[in-house]
Amino acid sequence: MKYTLLLFLATILLHSRTWAQSATISVTGEVTHPLQLSAADIAAMKKVTVQATDRDGKAHSYTGVPVADILQQAGVTMGAQLRGENMSKYLLVKSGDGYEVLFSLPELDAAFTDRVVILASQVDGQSLPEGKGPFRIVVPGEKKPARWIWEVTAMTVRFAKE
Amino acid sequence: MNKRWLLRWFGLAALLFTGSRWLPVPEPYVPVYPANFGNRLNIPADNPLTKEGVLLGRMLFYEPLLSANNKVSCGSCHQQQRAFTDGKKFSTGIDSIPTERNSMSLANLLWVRHFFWDGRAESLEQQALTPLTALHEMGQPLDISAAKLRRSQRYAALFNAAFGNSNITGDQIIKALAQFERTLISANAPYDHYLAGKYQLSPAAERGMQLFMNAPDPGKKIRGANCAHCHGSPKLYMELFHNNGLDSLPLDPGREKLTGLAADRGRFRIPTLRNIALTAPYMHDGRFGTLEEVLDHYSEHIIQSPSLSPVLRNTSNDMNGTSLKLSRSEQKDIIAFLHLLTDSTFINNSQFSNPFN
Ligand code: HEC
Ligand code: HEC
Repeated sequence: MKYTLLLFLATILLHSRTWAQSATISVTGEVTHPLQLSAADIAAMKKVTVQATDRDGKAHSYTGVPVADILQQAGVTMGAQLRGENMSKYLLVKSGDGYEVLFSLPELDAAFTDRVVILASQVDGQSLPEGKGPFRIVVPGEKKPARWIWEVTAMTVRFAKE
Repeated sequence: MNKRWLLRWFGLAALLFTGSRWLPVPEPYVPVYPANFGNRLNIPADNPLTKEGVLLGRMLFYEPLLSANNKVSCGSCHQQQRAFTDGKKFSTGIDSIPTERNSMSLANLLWVRHFFWDGRAESLEQQALTPLTALHEMGQPLDISAAKLRRSQRYAALFNAAFGNSNITGDQIIKALAQFERTLISANAPYDHYLAGKYQLSPAAERGMQLFMNAPDPGKKIRGANCAHCHGSPKLYMELFHNNGLDSLPLDPGREKLTGLAADRGRFRIPTLRNIALTAPYMHDGRFGTLEEVLDHYSEHIIQSPSLSPVLRNTSNDMNGTSLKLSRSEQKDIIAFLHLLTDSTFINNSQFSNPFN
């Protein structure tokens, strides 16, 4: 009887521990500083707002951190270092549902393009809707939002193998 | 007396013969599959496919000695005629306690990277450990299985051929099983022939396929069922985890049990729809007995919840609908298309069948 109660309490404790877990974003691979970004870390970073059209065909304003800034912080070869063999690196972004999308580094680098790809946390001033947050990649100007990967959990930089 | 000696000599000669012939290099097994399946294969570096390994794996897949009561094999819950399922809501192994989930069909596992309904195993090697040792499935520790096989006449030469020694270890059992499973390739359904330009769809299947492939857009008067968003590609699955709106408070938390994340509540791996007409009942808990019930679910009964897949939210043929709202005849057309995913050569392939029969 006593044990059952103990077991019961232990179960509850274990469960509440599980509940406390929340999403973070790991940044790993060809980086000098691997990151494990919490929502608070991301909230503290500099934000920009971009206009982009989602699948609904309507323009929205998305606010978030430029992906390039996150890569800089992790020590990825961006800017002046993005040359030579580093041109064969890519960024793979992964979602909690298992979806993965790929960007080449120049697509994300201000030295190459004016388009700012962001890790958005807000749309039209609101948190992202249920299921698509807390963080979603937004690629302004891209006709089909298939790379607007939602529920981002991991970013990995690698060399293409061939 | 003489006869016994003769037999022994014969056995030794056979061992030497197979030894010299097979021991140095088992022959590589080259899996054959269509180019549109892609080459992202999941084969661990330490377990390459060999003909000898695959043959041994096939025997082991049907070997009841691997179970505690010598009655249950992998083939008990994964029957070839049912595309390697068992037709039950939940399966039973060595006792009467049912499994917690519905048996999964085994086809095109060569490409899968996260096994089980919740994706908790990363390789077939890791996966096999569960049914072999789980208390209510086959319920036998690996070393006991290995010892039982060592006592059987059948296996020494087979292990020797596959692995270059006849030690017979648990690790070898698992490796051989995984090799066999990687050869279970299903790529010969009418739909595959259609993709190859060699099959004419019936009008109903053609309509069903269009619905299957397209997302609905009532504003533009486009009818659709959007199944391909999740069950698309020539292999008919995408390796993603979604909550497809079965429950608001699922009894089985699915992937949440693994990750502890609320977003993963009721999320399961998207299963393949290959051979789907043969693998009833459906879903992780076998709750639907027929494809008609499955279509009724997607059409009418998507349950809203915080972890419901965004792909199924606001996806309807009705303005503001919360389920697909397909007509009866549209549901029938989709089912006609699903029947074209049945690969009868796969379920009759003698290389996959029970070698003890
Ligand atoms: C008692 C019935 C039973 C037996 C015996 C059994 N399985 Fe299963 N199998 C299942 C069930 C149920 C599942 C789904 C379990 C889950 O997801 O938690 C499953 C899932 C699998 C999967 C995962 C498929 C996928 O797409 O992820 C593989 C592979 C598999 N079994 C192989 C085997 C092998 C190999 C054996 C023999 C060593 C075996 N099974 C024995 C019932 C059984
Ligand atoms: C959002 C992704 C998604 C969409 C869209 C989707 N499914 Fe599914 N489907 C799943 C998932 C996930 C499961 C497994 C759910 C479970 O067992 O809890 C599943 C299970 C099934 C099963 C049962 C498979 C089995 O082996 O038991 C069938 C049949 C099926 N879906 C058919 C369809 C059809 C037909 C459509 C289009 C009308 C469709 N699905 C649309 C995600 C999806």
